[in-house]
Amino acid sequence: MLVASVLYGLLSGAADISPSKIFGLFAFGHLDMDHRILQMIRLPRVLLAALAGACLASCGAVMQGLFRNPLADPSLIGVSSGASVGASCVIFFGGASLIGGGLGLPAIAIGAFVGGLLATSVVYRLATSVSGTSVATMLLAGIAITALSGAVTSLFSFFADNEMLRRISLWQMGNLDGADWSRVAAMALAVIPLILILPREGQALNAMLLGESEARHLGVAVEKLKRRLILLTALGVGVAVAVSGIVAFVGLIVPHLVRLLIGPDHRYLIPGSAILGAALLLLADTLARTLMSPAELPTGVITALLGAPFFVVLLLQQRQKIVG
Amino acid sequence: MLEAQHLSLSISDFSLLQDINLQLKSGVVTAIIGPNGAGKTSLLRLLCGEMKPSSGEAIFNGIPLDQWQPKQLARILGVLPQGSPLNFPFTAREVVMMGRIPHSTGLEKDTEIADAALESVGGSYLDKRPYTQMSGGEKQRVQLARVLAQIWEPDERGDRVLILDEPTSAFDLAHQQLTLNIVKKFAQQRVSVVMVIHDLNLAAACADQLVMLDCGKIAAQGAPEVVLTTALIEKVFNVSASIGVHPNRGSPLVIV
Repeated sequence: MLVASVLYGLLSGAADISPSKIFGLFAFGHLDMDHRILQMIRLPRVLLAALAGACLASCGAVMQGLFRNPLADPSLIGVSSGASVGASCVIFFGGASLIGGGLGLPAIAIGAFVGGLLATSVVYRLATSVSGTSVATMLLAGIAITALSGAVTSLFSFFADNEMLRRISLWQMGNLDGADWSRVAAMALAVIPLILILPREGQALNAMLLGESEARHLGVAVEKLKRRLILLTALGVGVAVAVSGIVAFVGLIVPHLVRLLIGPDHRYLIPGSAILGAALLLLADTLARTLMSPAELPTGVITALLGAPFFVVLLLQQRQKIVG
Repeated sequence: MLEAQHLSLSISDFSLLQDINLQLKSGVVTAIIGPNGAGKTSLLRLLCGEMKPSSGEAIFNGIPLDQWQPKQLARILGVLPQGSPLNFPFTAREVVMMGRIPHSTGLEKDTEIADAALESVGGSYLDKRPYTQMSGGEKQRVQLARVLAQIWEPDERGDRVLILDEPTSAFDLAHQQLTLNIVKKFAQQRVSVVMVIHDLNLAAACADQLVMLDCGKIAAQGAPEVVLTTALIEKVFNVSASIGVHPNRGSPLVIV
C-alpha cells in the first residue's frame, strides 16, 4: 500500500508539474497567435517528447531486467544505433518521394524496428550466459554494433545528396523539432500499448532477476517471455528512434532514479519509469529549445550531456562492488 | 512422490549419469552425497526438470515431469540453486514474496506466508534490508525462505517436493543446524526433500535415505548406517575413514 501511494504521488506530481511549466512558459497572453502556436507547434512537441521519454525509459527498465543488469540502456548496448541504421536505410533507399509522402514515417519506423530487433538479439546472445550477463561483454557488444552502425550510416551519408545528408545527420543527433500531429499519433500508437502491456510482465521480470532457471522453477515461461520482451522493446526503441533520432541515456538514468525512489519491483518500476521518463525528456527538450533561443539544440545532445557523467558514476560504483 | 526411472544423461558423448533409479517418497529426506564431479548437481537438474534426460524418465506424482504445466509444477516443487545472481536491491521480504508468484492466494496471505518463511530461517531482522547488502549466509537464508514460501502449504495437486543444492554451504554451525531442522519439519508435513550435501555427518544426521554417487552411477543407497561404511567411503571418496556412532543421535559418525 505504501509503495502504491508513493507511486500515486509520483504519478500526479510528475504529470502535473511538467506540463504546467511548459504551458506557463508560453501561454502568457491569450492571443490567437499564441493559441495557434500552442496548438500546432508546442503541444505536439510536448506530447512527442513525453511519449518518447516514457517509451525509452520503460524500454530501458525492461532491458535492465532482461539483461539482469542495471547498466543496460538502449543507446549504450547498440539497440538505438541498430535502429538508426534501419531508419537511415529507409531514408536513403526510400528517397525524397517516400519521405515527402504520407508513407515516410511508418516506413522509417519499420526500418528502425527491424534494425533495433537485430541489434538486441545479437547483443543478447553475445552477452548472456547461464550465470547472468557480463557487463563487459554487453558494453563491448554495444560498442561493436555502434561502430558497425556508424560505418554503415557514414556509407549512406557518403552517397547521399545534400538534403538527405542534412536530414540524416540532424536526426542522428536526436531531435524532436519535426513534431507534428502525425508523429504524435505514430508514437502514441506504439507507446500506449507498450506501456499497458509491459507492466503486466513485471512479476515475471522480477523472477527473471533471480536467474533464468529460478524463474523457470517459479513457473515463468522464460523463453517466451524473453522473445516477447525483446520484440516489444525493439518496437518501442525503433519507433522512438524513427520519430526523434537517438536520444541517449534516458533509458539508463530514469529507471535508476525510480529504483532509488520506490525500489526495483518491476510492477511499479515500469510505470514509474514511464512517468519520470516523460517528465525528464520533456524538461530536456524544453532546455534544448530555450537555452540558445531562438536557435534550438538537438535534444539528444542535452540528454547525453546530462547522462554521460551519470553513467560514469554508475560504472565507478559497479567497479567498487566488484573490487571490494 | 518423485521417481527416477533409468535416468541417464550424456552431453556430447560424455556420460554424466547412468541408469539412476530412485524413489523419493513423501515425508522422506534424501541426501545425495559423492565426490566432486560425481553428477550430484546434474541429478538434481534432471529431478527438477531443468534438464531433460538422454534416456529414462522422471515421474512426479504419477505424471512424467515434462508433461507438467510449469505453473502447476511450480506450486508443489521448490528448487534452491547453489547461488543466485540477483543483482538488484530487492528487500528480503520482496525476494521471499517472489516464492508466491506461482500461487494466487492474495497479497494478505502471501505476506503472512513470506513473513513466516523468513522467520523460520531466522531472517526476520533482514525484512527490509536490500539483498545486495547482505552477507553470503544471509543471502542463502533469504533464498531458502523464498523456496519454503513457494511450497509452504499442502496443495491439492499432489505431494510437495523440496530440492536443495548444497543448502548449508555458506552457513555457520547454528544455521546448518537450523536448516536441517527446517528440512525435518517439512518432511513431517509429508514433503519429500532431496538435497545435495557435502558434509557426510550432516547428511547422516538428518537424512532418512542416502544416495552415494560415484562417476555418474549410484554406488550405494539406503539408510545412513548402510551407506556410510569404511569400505564404500574408501572406494568412492578415496579416503580412509573410521565410522563411529553419534553419542546423542545414534547416527553414524564419519571421522576422517
